[in-house]
Amino acid sequence: MSNFSVGFRNNGSIQILDLRGELDAHTASELEAAIQKCQAGSSFQIIINGANLAYISSAGLGVFMAYIEEIRENGGDIKIVALQDKVFNVFDLLGFPMLFDIMSSEEEAIAKFEE
Amino acid sequence: MVLLSILFAVCFVLGIVYHLFEWNTGATGPLSLQLASQAVLVVGYTSLYFVLDHIYHASRSRPAKILWTILVAGSVLFAVGSVASRLGGPSVLPGLEAPYNLVGLDPETGIPFVLASIFKMNVLALTQITFAFILLLKLQDLVLVKRSKVSQRNWFAMVGLMAITGLTFFSSRPGSSPGEIQIIAMIVTVVFMLVNSFRLSWIVFLSFKEKIAAIGLMLLLGLMLFLGVGALNESPIGGLIAPGAASYLAMYSYSISYFVGLATLFGVLYSTTGFLSLLFHLPTSGEFTQRAGERATMQSLAHLVGQVFDADKLYATIASAPVEAGSAHVSWLAVLDFKSGSLTPSLVSAHRIELETVENLVDSKALFDEVVLSKTYLHLEHAPTDHRVNAKPGDGIGSLLVTPLIARNEVLGALFSAKEVIRGFEGDDIQTIGILSSQAAVAIDNARLFEQQVERERLSRELSIAREVQQKLLPQKIPALPGLSIAASSVSAQEVGGDYYDFVRLGERKLAIIIGDVSGKGTSAAFYMAEMQGVFQSVSRLAPSPCDFLNHANTALVHSLDRNVFISVIYGVLDLDKEEFVVARAGHCPIASVGQARAARYIRSKGIGLGLDRGTLFRENLEEERIALEPGDVFALYTDGVVESRDETGDEYGYDRLLIILQKHRHEDAEMIHKAILDDLAQFLNHGDYDDDMTLLIIKWHGIEIPESTPRVLETEEST
Repeated sequence: MSNFSVGFRNNGSIQILDLRGELDAHTASELEAAIQKCQAGSSFQIIINGANLAYISSAGLGVFMAYIEEIRENGGDIKIVALQDKVFNVFDLLGFPMLFDIMSSEEEAIAKFEE
Repeated sequence: MVLLSILFAVCFVLGIVYHLFEWNTGATGPLSLQLASQAVLVVGYTSLYFVLDHIYHASRSRPAKILWTILVAGSVLFAVGSVASRLGGPSVLPGLEAPYNLVGLDPETGIPFVLASIFKMNVLALTQITFAFILLLKLQDLVLVKRSKVSQRNWFAMVGLMAITGLTFFSSRPGSSPGEIQIIAMIVTVVFMLVNSFRLSWIVFLSFKEKIAAIGLMLLLGLMLFLGVGALNESPIGGLIAPGAASYLAMYSYSISYFVGLATLFGVLYSTTGFLSLLFHLPTSGEFTQRAGERATMQSLAHLVGQVFDADKLYATIASAPVEAGSAHVSWLAVLDFKSGSLTPSLVSAHRIELETVENLVDSKALFDEVVLSKTYLHLEHAPTDHRVNAKPGDGIGSLLVTPLIARNEVLGALFSAKEVIRGFEGDDIQTIGILSSQAAVAIDNARLFEQQVERERLSRELSIAREVQQKLLPQKIPALPGLSIAASSVSAQEVGGDYYDFVRLGERKLAIIIGDVSGKGTSAAFYMAEMQGVFQSVSRLAPSPCDFLNHANTALVHSLDRNVFISVIYGVLDLDKEEFVVARAGHCPIASVGQARAARYIRSKGIGLGLDRGTLFRENLEEERIALEPGDVFALYTDGVVESRDETGDEYGYDRLLIILQKHRHEDAEMIHKAILDDLAQFLNHGDYDDDMTLLIIKWHGIEIPESTPRVLETEEST
């Protein structure tokens, strides 16, 4: 029924989450669970890959806001990469680029983490 | 019915007339007349039989009442018989054989010598025959309890044979001994009598007390029939009560007297078999009472399935069921609280034992856990030796039976039944309690579903109240400013939503406008929307510019908003004197704007959503845009529900379509443009429901005062 999924990948200590499908009020809890899992595993360097993310609603955006503070307090960050134009527009309208590192590729984000 | 009664009366009177004729002439009539008078009597009494049949079979009574009715009828017979037979002197001549021993009748021909004899004969015959009919008809009710086709056939065959046997004596002289045919007929009749006298199913349904009463009544009936009626004038007792009665009957109609005799014989047989059978059934009464208890308990439980308004009453009934059914001495009930989802059952009701006692004696939780796992009953034959039972002999828990209450494959609770003795539960007890448990589970399940339904209805009522309240937070009237037309609407995907728009008049020709969208939807969004409304109504009058307002609003809201909640807002001030529109955008969808000579475009100034940043980023990134108003300028403010609405294929309405439709309708007034956009959107979606809150606000600056100043109707709708 849910057309949203989160895939887990690692790059060294960096946890990469591949989002697929539509992230809205109904599926937001799945992303929450995924980020909580990262936190539980003490992975605070998280890259969200949105290459296959077709849609995001305001409730979906809220998930990032819910965890970013805690993750940054733990010396980590959430970086968002490879968003489709339409999805990026939603992030952009709300001013997310001012709050998050939103990049075009994973490599860029990994490099930023490794600085 | 009435015809039959009349027929009987006529025949009866004809009988008397014939006897009067005999008395008058002092001789018997010709043979044909004699036979005709007999035929008249047979027809008459046959109709009486059917009349009585009709009267008695309208209702069915309990066995004791049936027996009682027969006894009363018998007593009436005795009373009438004893009075009638003694009228005008003695009836019986000693030393002669019946039926020739009657005073006032010619022993050979039966011709009455005196009027009194005619009266006696008719009255005695009528009462005896009526009693015989009542006896048969009443016994029929008993014999045909739990009737089958065969039993019914046997009964009517017996009555028929009795009648036929009687008729074989039709032409016989009273007192003559029966011939071969008559004897054969009598033997066959007696065989059927025997068959019918073993039809005693009604005994099984009697309680112990009722059986005792029935034994007494049966005994009385047997004695009355045998000693009294059976040989009314030959037996010592019958002869004392109504001497000569039977002889009178024989003289009256020999056929009918045989029928009466056979009916009485059947009565004697039936009361004998009934009496013996009752005696033998006495010891099994307890068993039967238990079965009756089980059935009654089942019924009350089944009834309760529909009576689920009172949980305590339901629990009490279930807890008492095993005891009421006679399968246990004490019982109690433990159920799970479905609201809290707790896995620990709570003891809710106990029968014949205190709940505290149960708690002290038995670890109900441990036993419950075991039946939850096994999903079948748990039988502790020797309960005191089980580690989960802390009972000593005398505590009343010798054996314990725990049955899970399972409905829709879910264990809702457990029913505990205990007996004082060890190994107290037999197979049928366990079976009974098992059935009770499944009934109880259905009842509890129904009660829960009902409660949930009530809860749902309550919630939906609350939500509709919330919706009304929220509608009041939106502007009830669109402000009218000279040279300006405004149209607005807001639709919630659910009862309540997070979209907001509002106006505050800052001066005669100055208006503050806001449109906002709380992230998420539903109730939580609605609360934040209400908060936003409070901030707007209070802060907008104090803040000189859109940036000021939004900075204040962010500061005010950031601490009350949940971390994952934010509000996107556009705040604008229309100043008609300066002819400018100053706007700032806090993360909201950009204003679509079109002028008469200017192409449609989006006004996308920088800005972060309210609540997203708690520091200085918000302030630093906020921009104001000043738009010089030119006549014909149109501004469309909207929430993402408009541009993100999707058709069946998943395509979004999108920003481009909005600009195109705006461009196309820019010459019209705000109302028309508003309608054009919604129509276009509806056409695009091709279905009636929206999956997001959707708000659309159109402002058009005409530059000159528009002549018609009809108040604009506010459009607020809901799609659910």
